[in-house]
Amino acid sequence: MVNLIGKNKVGGVRLRALLVVEGVWKRFGDRDVVRDVSLLVNEGEIVSLLGPNGAGKTTLLKIITGVLRPDSGRVLIKGLSPEDLKARALVGFCPQEPGLIDDLTGLENMMFYARLQGLDGKNVVKRVEGLLKIMGLSGDMGKLVRKYSGGMKKKLGLAATLIHDPEILILDEPTTGMDPGVRREVWRIIQQEKRSGKAILIATHYMEEAEALSDRVYIIDQGRIVASGTPSELKSKYAPPSVIEVELYRLPENADATLKDLGLRYTVHEDKLRVHSSDVDRDVPRLVALIHENGGAVKILRVTEPTLEDVFLKLTGRGLES
Amino acid sequence: MKWCRVKAFFISGLKTTFRDRASIFWVFIWPIILVFMTAYVFIPPSVGQPLTLDMGVVNYDHSEAPFNGTAFIEVLKIIEYNGTKLFNVRVYEDEDLLLGDLTKGELDVGIVIPSGFGNNLTFSQAKLKVYVSGGNVYSIQVNRAMVSEFLRRFSIEAGLRKVEMSLRYMNMSYVPSKIPTQGPWGDIGFLKFIRNYMLGLVEPINVTIIEKVPEALATRPAVIGWYVIGALGMMMLYTGFIIGSTAIVEEKERGSLDRILSTPVKESEMLAGRSLAGLIVLLLSSLAIVITGVYAIGAKIDWNPLSVTDWLVPLNLIMIGLMTIGIGYMLSLLARTSRGASSMGTTLGLILSFTAGVWFPKEWMPAPMRVLADMFPITWALDTIRDIVVFNIGLGEALTGTVRNVIATAAIFAVGVIAYKKTLRKYAEL
Repeated sequence: MVNLIGKNKVGGVRLRALLVVEGVWKRFGDRDVVRDVSLLVNEGEIVSLLGPNGAGKTTLLKIITGVLRPDSGRVLIKGLSPEDLKARALVGFCPQEPGLIDDLTGLENMMFYARLQGLDGKNVVKRVEGLLKIMGLSGDMGKLVRKYSGGMKKKLGLAATLIHDPEILILDEPTTGMDPGVRREVWRIIQQEKRSGKAILIATHYMEEAEALSDRVYIIDQGRIVASGTPSELKSKYAPPSVIEVELYRLPENADATLKDLGLRYTVHEDKLRVHSSDVDRDVPRLVALIHENGGAVKILRVTEPTLEDVFLKLTGRGLES
Repeated sequence: MKWCRVKAFFISGLKTTFRDRASIFWVFIWPIILVFMTAYVFIPPSVGQPLTLDMGVVNYDHSEAPFNGTAFIEVLKIIEYNGTKLFNVRVYEDEDLLLGDLTKGELDVGIVIPSGFGNNLTFSQAKLKVYVSGGNVYSIQVNRAMVSEFLRRFSIEAGLRKVEMSLRYMNMSYVPSKIPTQGPWGDIGFLKFIRNYMLGLVEPINVTIIEKVPEALATRPAVIGWYVIGALGMMMLYTGFIIGSTAIVEEKERGSLDRILSTPVKESEMLAGRSLAGLIVLLLSSLAIVITGVYAIGAKIDWNPLSVTDWLVPLNLIMIGLMTIGIGYMLSLLARTSRGASSMGTTLGLILSFTAGVWFPKEWMPAPMRVLADMFPITWALDTIRDIVVFNIGLGEALTGTVRNVIATAAIFAVGVIAYKKTLRKYAEL
């Protein structure tokens, strides 16, 4: 078991960990679904749990929220066990299935979850209406949820998670099944919540989501955390170098000798140049300058950066969608 | 326990029930249909009234006697019992035509009056041929019994008249000297003695049959009242079982259980909210059944808000509700899907309705099966309600039954609560 609290420093700044998971195991039958998982989420931080379907993300989130009990290990929510009702009041959990009641309206669903959090009365109705407005659901709050689209249900589920203004948000695949427009809208709301100081843990199998939102990423495969770090740390450590593709009006004179000066791996094919770089910010200006200095002219320059998908592929030998 | 959390489950439970068409049907429409069926199918308006049989008659008698076949047919046409005609008489030309209609099921009974019937009735012994339609065992028994009883009574009446006529023509000089006209009956004189003797030949035993039913069930409204309470019990059984057995699995299926379990809600708050919602649904349905029973089909259900005894009725209804929901929670341990839980609740509810003295009187059942009815606490509570509203028992008796029901309810609901918590924990330990 790893003691994470003592290690919770970034750049010498001690962070306030709101959620700590230490050495958690969970077995269903003869299969270990979660294996010795440790992680932490700090105040004002978005952490992603990135892994393919069936990696154990949902089970881990259920353990963190106290829905399931771990076989061993522990979860601390501001130092409290998730079984402690005080700890549960600090958490807002949005499961993969939004967990809404189809025969209630949007407003009634919100009031149901508000009451479960111990909130009732006119002020709560105002807060509910405010949240529904933020989610763009004001006009539909009187409609039965069974008439909502999948995206609307997801947004309502997220609104219900925010009803008691929790310090920790646990979101399981928050944008699955959403169209790109709605997905970006939800990302905007999540980032807004981060700015208000919430600790946010997102389980996702979308690498773009993890990259776009996360301060840190835990990569999970077959119940085990196989790597963690900021997206750029993970990519620089595990992903192949970026590829700079350049289409030229004309090649620089003595192209081979010129490019060798860069010290990078490259290929030249007719008027196209392909350069592998582990530091794009440094190498792109150097490459362009060198081409121009040697009489070449750039027509199009395209940089293909590695993704977390590449990181996952490198670590597990499989893609995230597999 | 925080009320607003209980309220969350209470309000959502009520709203989801009243917005679901299937629930509305099973909780309100079906019991009301059952109440109407009680009044018009199981206990039709004709119950307690004599049947009227369709009778075909062939008359081959054309004798000159004062009471012949034609006069007999007139009697058949006008004879009544309690204001109801006993026979719809249709006269046939010959026996073959009569038999044709009888075998087609158009007649219940056929009578063939042979030639010489009138003369034989007056001076000898008359004969009649009677056919009884045999559609089913029940109808053949009823038709046979009715026509036999009528002919037996008619035969006795004819015999009595023959005695009166015989005495009118008896010559007093024929009086034998040794006939005892004195005895335990006193000195009644020879003629009266002979008359009594001949009456005894016609009808050796004059039987008086008196129908005696419990005063409370003596009327059709009271019988309907008994069954309306039965319909209420049946609804409570299957609905309560379904409410209890689907409570957790339904939340699990719609994905709301994970979210609920992640909130600071206590098991006791969930349980209280759900049970309260279920109880209100059951009580509203019971009210609808009773109102329909009393005002639409005339059931005798006496309830006086000024009577302390009558206030034990709602208390016993609450007991039944809690017991059925409690048993439902026990069933939830076995439920894997809400559809399975619902089917299990309905099946068990209907079986117990018919076997535990809820819908059918337990006296109708074979002795070994009565044991279940005698030991089933829901039947105890229903019988207490029947005792109060149909049989009008006193406070002492009602209170004794109610105390027993309260104890049984506490025990059953407590086991239900344990089962509910175990089901929740089973889910968390998955």
